[in-house]
Amino acid sequence: MAFNRIDRTARQIVLTVQDYWLFARQALLNLFRPPIYWTDFLLQSDIIGVGSATIVLLSGFFTGCVLALQSASTLAAFGATAVTGQFVSKSMIMELGPVLTGIMVSGRNASSMASELGSMVVTEQIDAMRALGVDPLRKLVTPRIFASVVMLLFLTIISDACGILGGAAVTVYLNHQNGTQYFHMAYERLRYPDIIQGLVKPLFFGYILSSVGCFYGMRTSGGTQGVGRSTISAVVSASVLIIFVDFLITHVLLTLFG
Amino acid sequence: MNVSSILSASEPLTESLPVVELRHVSIAFDGPPVLEDISFTVAPGETRILLGPAGVGKSVLLKLIIGLLRPDRGHVLLFGDDISEFSEEELFSLRARSGMVFQEGALFDSLTVRDNVAYQLIQNPAIPDEEIDRRVREALSFVGLEKTFSLYPASLSGGMRRRVAIARALINNPELILYDSPTGGLDPVTSATIMELVMKARDVHRTPSLLVTHRLQDAFTLCTHRFDPAGNTMAPLPQGETDPATTFLMLEEGRLIFDGSLHNLLHTDYKFVREFLE
Repeated sequence: MAFNRIDRTARQIVLTVQDYWLFARQALLNLFRPPIYWTDFLLQSDIIGVGSATIVLLSGFFTGCVLALQSASTLAAFGATAVTGQFVSKSMIMELGPVLTGIMVSGRNASSMASELGSMVVTEQIDAMRALGVDPLRKLVTPRIFASVVMLLFLTIISDACGILGGAAVTVYLNHQNGTQYFHMAYERLRYPDIIQGLVKPLFFGYILSSVGCFYGMRTSGGTQGVGRSTISAVVSASVLIIFVDFLITHVLLTLFG
Repeated sequence: MNVSSILSASEPLTESLPVVELRHVSIAFDGPPVLEDISFTVAPGETRILLGPAGVGKSVLLKLIIGLLRPDRGHVLLFGDDISEFSEEELFSLRARSGMVFQEGALFDSLTVRDNVAYQLIQNPAIPDEEIDRRVREALSFVGLEKTFSLYPASLSGGMRRRVAIARALINNPELILYDSPTGGLDPVTSATIMELVMKARDVHRTPSLLVTHRLQDAFTLCTHRFDPAGNTMAPLPQGETDPATTFLMLEEGRLIFDGSLHNLLHTDYKFVREFLE
């Protein structure tokens, strides 16, 4: 009995992964074949990019503040408070900026994609779209994925910048250190591989959060309760997947660049 | 009268190729079959009314016809093409030739009535906005809702939403219309308005259609009335006459148990049909 259940669950997981892979791949391939819905791309860019700017800006800023506070007290033990800028900028650009932005945007947009598309599924709007001869994957999913990838890149840059500014504010006003030294260290010790790492990650995270959000939305069943379940699954899966993929990318890039 | 004799009571209305043909179609969803061994046709100019209690697979049948679902067994022929093995991409062009009115209208919440009705036309960049507006107004005028042009679906009543859905289904002059319980959940007056529109589409455009309903009154009204263009209303046919192009199908637990005219339906001694009628 227990083996049957394990077997069924394992099969379910494998099928879900397979469905997700086919779905995400098709949505990506649609980018290279017409029709491409540019208006929908711009609309989604506004919703995802401009709409998420405030939370990304605030979370980035305060993360930088916390990093500066924590690192200053630890570094003081070694008499190395001067490298606070380097610590904050490297942490923000390579790791915290992309991951935090990915998770924040995922919380806001993967949930909204799952619930919006899920509601369209349960009210037969997706079927109506297909009946009218329009491919919902092209019309609804591909623009969301494309917009998420592009916008997450810019949002991550904003988050990195705000984090470094937040760290500077704490360093100057709370830790009473030299601001010029902070920015000098923040800039001087950055290497191109660090920046590449920080800019490659959001491309993957944007793809993950939007494809997962749309995937759960499009396979919603069970009425309004189903929409709720899809929304939760989308946010949880996207967040976990972002952290897991972050680990993989970091490992690969550190191996490549050292 | 047994089932096979009831099924044989149906005679092809015309010699030309059927618009829709189902051949021994079956489908199941993780359990017992929802539809089993279904075969029937919809001829050009014909209106078929699919009767049956709730949950017998009527809506599933409509979705199979335009390829929104795929049969597990059997063949579905739409406009002469066997769509059972068609890819989703191949189906889009065929679907664009038909119109479907969904149970609750299925209007796009985020779009205005104009954009909902014009949805198919908007996808074609070659059609200028003025042309789209003209055709939308024409379609809305057909369903008597010209004034809703700029409104959003949320501000419409249930009956109005169904009428907009009918306008959306008709705007591209479809070669087939599928109605999924267009009067479900509506009051009798609004239902009569909707049936009048269905009748108008049948008698004015002569578009073949398949109407799913569990409301006998709607089905009989459609069969015993015609649309009078002069009075812009429906008028009863002379006593004892029925529309020859309007025939019935009936489902019981996923199986087609009746295929024939109103006369045959009323005079069948098949138990389930009699119980349903009574």
